[in-house]
Amino acid sequence: MAAVSDPPGAPERSGRLLAGRGGGRSAETWKRHVVRQLKNRDLRQHTMFQDLIRFYTQLLEKNSLAKGILSSSTRCSSSDSSSSISSLLHQNDQLKKTTGELAYQVVELQQQIKIKECVLEERHARLVEEQCRLVGVFGVRQELQQQVEQVQKKNRVLKMEYDALLERQRGAETRLREAEDKGGHLLEDMIHLKQQAADRMNSLNERKSRARALKLQRDLQTTVTSKVPIDSCSSAPASRSTSPKNEERGESTERRRTRLFRSASASSPRILTSIRKLFDRKRRGRSVCSLEEDLMGPVGVCLAARVPVRALQVLEAHEQGINAVTFSPSSDLLATGGTDRVIKLWEVRAGSMTHRATLDGSTEGITCIEFDPTGSRVLAASYDKSALLWQLDNSVPKLTLTGHSRKVTAARFSSSIHRVVTGSADRTIRLWDLQRAACVQVVEVASYCSDLVCPENCIISGHYDCKIRVWDSRAGSCIQELPAQGKVTSLDISPDHRQLLSCCRDDCLQLVDLRWWSNARVCFRAEGFKCGSDSTKAVISPDSCFLAAGSADGAVYIWNVSTGNLETRLSDKHSSSISAVSWSLSGEYIVSVDKSRWAVLWSDL
Amino acid sequence: MADDKDVLRDVWFGRIPTCFTLNPDEVTEREAEPYYLLLPRVSYLTLVTDKVKKHFLKVMKAEDVEEMWFEYEGTPLKWHYPIGVLFDLHASNTVLPWNITVHFKNFPDHDLLHCLSNSIIEAHFMSSIKEADALKHKSQVVNDMQKKDHKQLWMGLQNDKFDQFWAMNRKLMEYPTEEGGFRYIPFRIYQTMSDRPFIQKLFRPVSPEGNAHTLSDLLKEIFPAAIPNEGEQKRYQVVIHGIEPLLETPLQWLSEHLSHPDNFLHICIIPTPTD
Repeated sequence: MAAVSDPPGAPERSGRLLAGRGGGRSAETWKRHVVRQLKNRDLRQHTMFQDLIRFYTQLLEKNSLAKGILSSSTRCSSSDSSSSISSLLHQNDQLKKTTGELAYQVVELQQQIKIKECVLEERHARLVEEQCRLVGVFGVRQELQQQVEQVQKKNRVLKMEYDALLERQRGAETRLREAEDKGGHLLEDMIHLKQQAADRMNSLNERKSRARALKLQRDLQTTVTSKVPIDSCSSAPASRSTSPKNEERGESTERRRTRLFRSASASSPRILTSIRKLFDRKRRGRSVCSLEEDLMGPVGVCLAARVPVRALQVLEAHEQGINAVTFSPSSDLLATGGTDRVIKLWEVRAGSMTHRATLDGSTEGITCIEFDPTGSRVLAASYDKSALLWQLDNSVPKLTLTGHSRKVTAARFSSSIHRVVTGSADRTIRLWDLQRAACVQVVEVASYCSDLVCPENCIISGHYDCKIRVWDSRAGSCIQELPAQGKVTSLDISPDHRQLLSCCRDDCLQLVDLRWWSNARVCFRAEGFKCGSDSTKAVISPDSCFLAAGSADGAVYIWNVSTGNLETRLSDKHSSSISAVSWSLSGEYIVSVDKSRWAVLWSDL
Repeated sequence: MADDKDVLRDVWFGRIPTCFTLNPDEVTEREAEPYYLLLPRVSYLTLVTDKVKKHFLKVMKAEDVEEMWFEYEGTPLKWHYPIGVLFDLHASNTVLPWNITVHFKNFPDHDLLHCLSNSIIEAHFMSSIKEADALKHKSQVVNDMQKKDHKQLWMGLQNDKFDQFWAMNRKLMEYPTEEGGFRYIPFRIYQTMSDRPFIQKLFRPVSPEGNAHTLSDLLKEIFPAAIPNEGEQKRYQVVIHGIEPLLETPLQWLSEHLSHPDNFLHICIIPTPTD
């Protein structure tokens, strides 16, 4: 016990001494003390006994083992020592019995061996079988592996192809992107151009309105300053027919006509006017350049149309293709309309065309133009699904008739006053009241309506289903269907409303006598004549003696109605397909227009 | 610091040579040999005595065997105290090896807890760790651990794996540096002559003035008699892990290095041998 308590005693004391000297050292001291004591403890309690206990445990194990062996052997020897003969005999019996049992066991075991051998053989056979199958399976496996290789090879090829395609796709995509960029640029350019056009239009409108204001002002001034001459003018109505003032022309003709109608008997106004015009015509024939000619009113009937022989003027009339051309009833004004969305008015005088005015307002190309019988209004059909009506003195449309769902192909003044008729690609024909500016009737047709004409009380329309239909304009019902050889591209009716001309896509003009309501039809063909488009327009001459049509080869063909033969062929002026021709009511001029902006004035002069 | 690590190792690997003898009252087929074993100080009796049981069962009839328990010089040994504590408390100044008598009958239900499987030891061990951490860190550290971390602590003890145990136990020994120690030191003071099993009170590692408390401060507070007056013969030995640390040893350090795996600082106060 002293050994346990003594060792810690000495360091304890020294620790206290060290603690007196300094804090740092004392901290070390207590820790060193703990470490040393632990080492001491382990030395006494652990290390000393470690080996001892291990050896003891080993010995214990050996001992128990030895004891086990010993106990069994001692039991044997004890039985030996107490032996006697009887017990030996008994043992012998027992041994014999045991031998018998063992022999029996041997037999049993042999049987078992046999069974086992059978089983073994069976197993062996099965093994062989399995091996065979294994070989087969190996073969299949090899095959499959080959297949796998082939498939892999194919896959590689496919992959390569795919890569190539991918590459191509990438290329295509870059191209697409470039194209899109280009498209965007183009769009920008277009928008820019449109803007410029709009600006131009604005400035034009402004200029026009300013000019009109100026003119009004000037008129006002003249009115203010010249009161007396007007008085004198109104006091001398008898001398109006010879008045040379141009600006009073419209007014004077109007008055004259009213007077004429008033004086004429109601039963035969047409005969009277024709006679009067006959005189006019003769006089004009004498002095073509006289100022009086300009004062003449519209010519109702022409007695002698003259077949033109040469071109007087060739000019680029529009910025884009020209679709329609029409002379005014007075023959001195010509209207052309084209894809560039405007109608241009030309003054035709002394064998030349001069630009007078431009009528705009349509948002798409013009398809058809017509003057009203007085020559003061212009009706046009447009691609923008509407028909437009202008007064000649104003470039802004007076009316816009909207209601069709597709482009309007034809617009005509009706025989009844204040009515117009329009035909459209939407397979309807509409009747409009100009006073109400509204559609009053819609006639559903079975086919695309390409053109129509309006004789008295009926409407005749041409269609793409190779039919010409005659409608009662009051009932809106189809009275008659006339067959045509092809798609009807245009219709024209003679001034006396007796004959109907239709132009078809089978390059044939057909003249129908309307009087008989029969199939009395005459066809006109010519070598080289080819209908250039679905809207090519052919006309009857004002005296109903000739037919004129423009061909796809750029020539104007003129037939003689009475002989049925080609009268003449006017060529070399148009370079592209002619879209329309118009014969002036005076019979002097023909104007043909084509798809490449050119207009040609033909005459026999 | 190398010293600190050595201290931890020495504490962990502390062994007590023990001789187990079968109680002569037990009925045996033949004479039972005594069994010698080095018992780890930090473990629990029932956890390390499988071999002892096997050894004695060889010589006994199966029908005579009941739950095994241990006794030293008439005192039943409580398995739920660490082995080192049992030894220091009851047999520190006796001759080695420590003689323990093995019983298979007459289990003293009044003195001992039953221990039918290792899971009971595990539960006791883990509850001690949790209690200690409640004192040290308000349970924050042990609650932050996952189930497998708890298992690692127990498996470290069960399989005597120092590194495995300390890899996890290190976290339980951490404390915020600005506080200078744990919240309270988890300690238990055992006496042989008292009826109380042990003393356990709240005690901070640092005084309100900021000085580190030492072992001496703790004893003054809890058990003033253990400190010898000036010039007087020492009456008590203060034993931790079989050694007597100096009284000026800081309490925080002791708690960190001389605690048992259950995180308690087990202090035995035994009378100084008079011979």
